[in-house]
Amino acid sequence: MIDEQIYRRFNHTIAACFVVYFLFPSEILRLQRSYFIVLFWLLVVSIEIARLTKGIKILGMRDYEKDRIASFVWFASGSCLLLGLHEIGLFPQSLVIATIIMAAYTDPVIGEATKKWGDKKGVICGLVCSFVIYQVIVGVLFYSIIGSIAAVIAERPKIKWFDDDLAMQIVPMIILFALYWYDLGPNLVEEGMIIMEGI
Amino acid sequence: MRFTKLYILTLYFVLIICSVLFITKEHYNIAILLILGNMLPGYTLASSLLRENEN
Repeated sequence: MIDEQIYRRFNHTIAACFVVYFLFPSEILRLQRSYFIVLFWLLVVSIEIARLTKGIKILGMRDYEKDRIASFVWFASGSCLLLGLHEIGLFPQSLVIATIIMAAYTDPVIGEATKKWGDKKGVICGLVCSFVIYQVIVGVLFYSIIGSIAAVIAERPKIKWFDDDLAMQIVPMIILFALYWYDLGPNLVEEGMIIMEGI
Repeated sequence: MRFTKLYILTLYFVLIICSVLFITKEHYNIAILLILGNMLPGYTLASSLLRENEN
């Protein structure tokens, strides 16, 4: 049998590839690329509805996900929301890219570190991981510090109907965007546009 | 199980394609993050698959 734990982790980290969306041309098959965000989200939700109603077994699901919304739906919903709000001109691109990649990596890092070294070191590893990702992509220390702290705090509460996969994207993004929007933080490099053109 | 293996192979393929696209567009920071972040879980999963094949 495949190691389900590591299978789950890989499915989580691979979600960082969502950011390839920014390399898509502005129109695909004469449709604006933003329509594909909605199509993708509907596909994910359809799979989840089929899983919940027909009892389809998907490898890597946790036991408690048997009768509640699975984490992949929460993650996809968060990413689609961020991408959609970027498309309507709200969220800066660099913050969206960093937040999606950060959420894809930090949650498994916290999980693995907590399992191996305990709660405190899990939080420290999460902070370091998210800080490095924000710093590599956004490149502004202020946003990296605030974003990493917000992400780790958002991961902590275990609420049944608000999964940490969604919270880790929404909470830091709203805080960072508010700081940027109200000029409470420094300017973003290139106004937050790091990918100018698609393929 | 066959479907799962196909799905995992697709994920590896997606990862490679995405990384190459970011490299060709000179967004090395994003490409490196994609590769490094998926390296450990990807390698461990591949090892577990190979072990299963041996058994």
